[in-house]
Formats: sequence, structure tokens, C-alpha cells
Amino acid sequence: MQEILFYIFSALTLLCGLLVVFNPFSRNPVTSAMFLVLTIISMSGLFVLLKAFFLAAVQILVYAGAVIVLFLFVIMLLDVKDEERRRYQKFGTFLGFAAVTGLAMLIINTIKQSGVSQALTGDGVAETKPLGKLLFTDYLLPFEIVSILLLVAMVGCILLSKREETAEAEAE
Amino acid sequence: MDLQLVSLEIGACLLGIVVLLVDLWTPAERKAQLGWLVASGLVGVFCYSFTIFDQGTGTGATGYVKDSLAVYFQGYFVLSAVLVVLLTQSYATRIRSGISELYAFTCFALAGMSFAAGANSLVLLFVAVELITITFYVLTSFERHRLRSLEAGIKYLILGAASSAIMVFGIALIYGSTGALDFHGVARAATGLNDDSMMLLYRLGVLMTLGGLFFKLAAVPFQLWVPDVYQGAPTPVTTFLSTGSKAAGIVLILRLLADACPPLLGEAWLRQLLALMAAATILYGSLCALRQRNLKRLLGYSSIASAGFVLLGLVTLSDQGAQAVLFYLTAYVFGVVGAFTVISVVSEESSDEDISTLANLHQRSPLMATVLTLSIISLAGVPPLAGFIGKFALLSAAISSVAVHPVMPWVIGAALVGVVISFYYYFTVIREIFWGKGRFWAEEAPSTEPLPCPRAAEVVLLTCLFGLIGLGLFPEPILFIAGEATEYLFSAN
Repeated sequence: MQEILFYIFSALTLLCGLLVVFNPFSRNPVTSAMFLVLTIISMSGLFVLLKAFFLAAVQILVYAGAVIVLFLFVIMLLDVKDEERRRYQKFGTFLGFAAVTGLAMLIINTIKQSGVSQALTGDGVAETKPLGKLLFTDYLLPFEIVSILLLVAMVGCILLSKREETAEAEAE
Repeated sequence: MDLQLVSLEIGACLLGIVVLLVDLWTPAERKAQLGWLVASGLVGVFCYSFTIFDQGTGTGATGYVKDSLAVYFQGYFVLSAVLVVLLTQSYATRIRSGISELYAFTCFALAGMSFAAGANSLVLLFVAVELITITFYVLTSFERHRLRSLEAGIKYLILGAASSAIMVFGIALIYGSTGALDFHGVARAATGLNDDSMMLLYRLGVLMTLGGLFFKLAAVPFQLWVPDVYQGAPTPVTTFLSTGSKAAGIVLILRLLADACPPLLGEAWLRQLLALMAAATILYGSLCALRQRNLKRLLGYSSIASAGFVLLGLVTLSDQGAQAVLFYLTAYVFGVVGAFTVISVVSEESSDEDISTLANLHQRSPLMATVLTLSIISLAGVPPLAGFIGKFALLSAAISSVAVHPVMPWVIGAALVGVVISFYYYFTVIREIFWGKGRFWAEEAPSTEPLPCPRAAEVVLLTCLFGLIGLGLFPEPILFIAGEATEYLFSAN
């Protein structure tokens, strides 16, 4: 059962990842972003199979939730029509292929050298419970400082984005 | 963990939150007066944290240590925060959005700085630096109606984010190569490293982490943001940036070098690199300030030059050098706060920051003219003021380490050249105060009307006056405390 799920999620990750950058049916960036969401969701499925539940949840919350929303905002602020007309650039394609080949060789070499032969099953290090325990014992102080940091960020955002009495900026 | 240990930080954060809440029930015209409350609250919190001070406790799992070095810097940060809050209060009429938030953010930044002062692990280092930096992103763009303030905010945001990324990459490399996060653990693991490639990763990690901290310090080549951000940010924020934020970088560099990299301290490249940076920073700051007419930019470049002098003390990698750095900073805070306070009051009246607005200041406000003159003289390093003792201590620490460091004579030479150049631009300011003719194209002679100084600014000015002269004439107590704080910092290894 697990193996079948693994193959399904891997295939989905790869397929959706390909559709993000190379989609024969649509050149709309919004579609690409949506496929990126699918890629991330299927990757979090892989994390679940490795028993890294916390990582899976964070993957969906942070990437599929926050980061993609940010992407969509940027895409919608830009001119989508202009992007659809643009052709693939030869130089860019070449660079992309070179980068992918290099990375693939690096990963294959690493796996060969480290000698991972048996299937990865996850050792429970990234599980939620030990992580929470660490956060609230050894790393309590940094954890609490981060909460102050979030408060600062929140107050700052409200402060910088609320309407001012005199709306327009004075040119200097 | 022991909550008393971090009482200063908790107090600062609580004070910030209380100010945000009190703001809701305060009528708009009285909001600026909250500054007195914040300033006295900060002093109270600091005194309380002194009474429970117990040296050397709290190391280990929490990654926070409250030793005498931490206490020295925390005292320094509270001093500069109190002065900045009072300066903010006299600046309040120009802040259109939320003066209470400005006070609260100063408190939060102070909490970040005092965490940085006691940081003893890479996690705490990163979190504290981020708390400071993110607070300052908001603070620099606080005057949203001014384009320059927005520009400063964006520039600081982008460059700061890039430097944070470099720093966190460096931390990851250190952790990857040594497997430890607290400084002493890193040092122990690094001493035992016998794999060359791991050692290389460790060196690279230390270098990148230092790079992120040098950004705070504004050392060449991480200085590009300084003039624009100093000019654009509201003056109290600029003051806090050049006193507090810079010193947070310095204490972290000191701790990182002394605690986490003993295996590297003997290697020549680190010393040569620091020496090169010190010389370049001093010369860059001094040369660029020469033709500056905008007062805040001028002080920005002068702050780069003084970052170079701090580096000069760090290059020695000795307790004496660290002691000189601590004293130099304390002397520096009075000079910088005094100068910025006068600039803030003068530029409010003339809504301009050009150097010519200082003309006739000695007739318009004798107090401000006196403090600005003394601040500038102290920054330039003329006896008998505080700045002179600071520069003298730094140079003598550098000279006494010539035997160990072969490159040192060159750096000292560069520093002396920098001092001579700095006399020129510092005395341009003084000439403008007493003999200034105003702008050469202006049709009217500069005003001689008395210039009123807000009560809060007067308190700041008198404190600076007292500090500048007091530290200049009686430097021994502070030098002694600084010596206590840095004892065995480097020599323990």
C-alpha cells in the first residue's frame, strides 16, 4: 500500500512540476501557480509517507498557503497578457537544462557515495512531539523572541498600510 | 529556565506592549508625553535588572548568558534607548502616524539588542538580530508621507534581507560542519575537526555569519546603505541606528570571535582580512564625508569611519582592544546623540538639513551651539573630551599589538590619516556654527532669532554635555568597568 502511494505521489510531484514550467495547453501564469500548489501538496504527501507529519503540515500551511498567495498577488499585479505572448528563450532553456543536469548529477553522486540502499522509512526525528518538546525546553527563549518579532511585524504592517489623514506623499 | 535572568528584556517588551495599550486611552494631544513614562520605565527596569545581577549564571541550554560583558552592553543599550525616547518626544510634532508605536518599537528593538548582548548560541544570535532588524525596517519608513523615508525603508529592507540570508546560510554551514549551535560547543567541535573540507566549510560559515554582522556595523564593503538610510529615516531612528543597532553588531562579533572561533584566531588570513576592512572603512568614511553638505549624511559617513575605528580595536583580538572598543562606544553615544538632537531641533525649524542652517547657532541658542560643538570635537577626537580618550585607547591597544600582528603598522597609519582627514569635515560644521554666512545664494542673512529648544531635548543635551566632559576628565571608572567586562574574553583561550 505504502509503495503504491509513494509512486502515485512521486509521479504527481514530477508531472505537476513539469506542468508548472512547461504546459502545452495554457501559458497563463496563474495556471502555473496552481500547478505549483499541486506539486507542493503531493510533496507533502511524500513527507507523510516518511512519517514527517509536522513537515507535511508546514509544507501545506506555509508554501501552499502563504507563499503561493504571495505569488498570485504578484502575478495578478503584473500584466499577464504580456507574459502569454512571450516565446521561450533559447539561452534560458539551455541554462535551465544545464542547471538541472548538474543538480541531478550531484544528487546521484551523493546517493551513490553515501550508499543509501535500503528504503528510507523515516526515523521519527522530525515528528511533531520531539520537535515540540525541543521548542519548549531547549529553544524556549528564541521561540518566545520570535513571538515578539511577529508582534512587531504585525503592528508594523498595520502602521505602514493604514490610511493616513493626508493621503498623498509630499514630493521633496 | 530562570525568568529573573531575562528580566530586563521582559521588562522592555512589557513596557512596549503597555505603551501600545495606554495609547488607546490617551487623548491625542497628550500622546507625546508618554515619552517621559517610557524613559522612566526603562530606567526602572534597568535598575531592577542590576539588583539581581549575578555573574556567570544561565549558560547552557538556554543559549543566553548574563556575564559582565552582557551587562555592560545592556547598560549601554538602555542609556541610548532612554536618550532616543526623549529625542523622539521632542520630534513628536513631525510624526503623523502613531507616536506611541514609535516608543513601543524602540522598546522592542531594545529587547532585541539586550538579547543580542547575552547571546551565546547561533539560534539566539539570529533571532535577536532579526528582532532588531525587522523593527528597524518599520522604524526607518515611519514618516510615510516623506518619500525619502519610504526610500530609506525599502533600501534597508532589501539590503538587510540579503545580509540576513547570508548570515543564516553561514549559520547553517557552521552547524553542518560542527554539529553544535552554542558558541562553546562550536569551538570545541571545531578544535577537533581533522577533515579539511569540513574545516573549510566551518571557515566559510564563520565568514558569512560575520558578514551579516558587519552589515549592522556598516563596515566596508557592507556600508552602502548607510548614507541614504541615515538621511531618510526620522532623526531619532537614525540616532538609535547609529548607536544601538551598531553596538549590537559589535557585541555579537566580539562574542562570536572570542567564543566560537578560537581555532581560527591564530590564522593569519582572519587578521589580515579584519585589518584590511578596518583600514578601508576608516578611509572610505573619512573621504566620502569631505564634500557632504547634508548634516545627516555627513554624520552617516562619520559613523562609517567610526565603525572602522571599532574594527581597529577588533583586529587586535586582545582583551585590551575589546576594552578600548567598549569605552569608545560609550564615548561615541554621547557625541552622536548630542549632534543628532541639535540637528533634529534645527532642521525642524528650517525644514532643511543643509549644513548652512547651523549659521548663527551660537547667538540663537547657546546651549545647542555648545553641545553640538563639543559633540563634534569629541567625535573628531580632540582632548580633553570623551572621544579623545576612546580613540587614544583604541590606538594604544593597536600599537601594543604591533609585535603580534605584522600588518598592524599599516592599519594604524590609515587610521591616523583618517583622523587628520576627519578634522577637516568636523571643523566645517564648527565653522558653520560660529562663522556661517548661510547659503551663498540666499538673499537674506541667516536668522538671529532665539531658537526654542523643547524640554525633552534639553534633558538629552544636558546629559550629553555631562557625559562628554565627565568621561573626558574622569574616564577611569568606565575604563575599569569595561576592563572587567572584557577580562579573559580573548586570553581565556
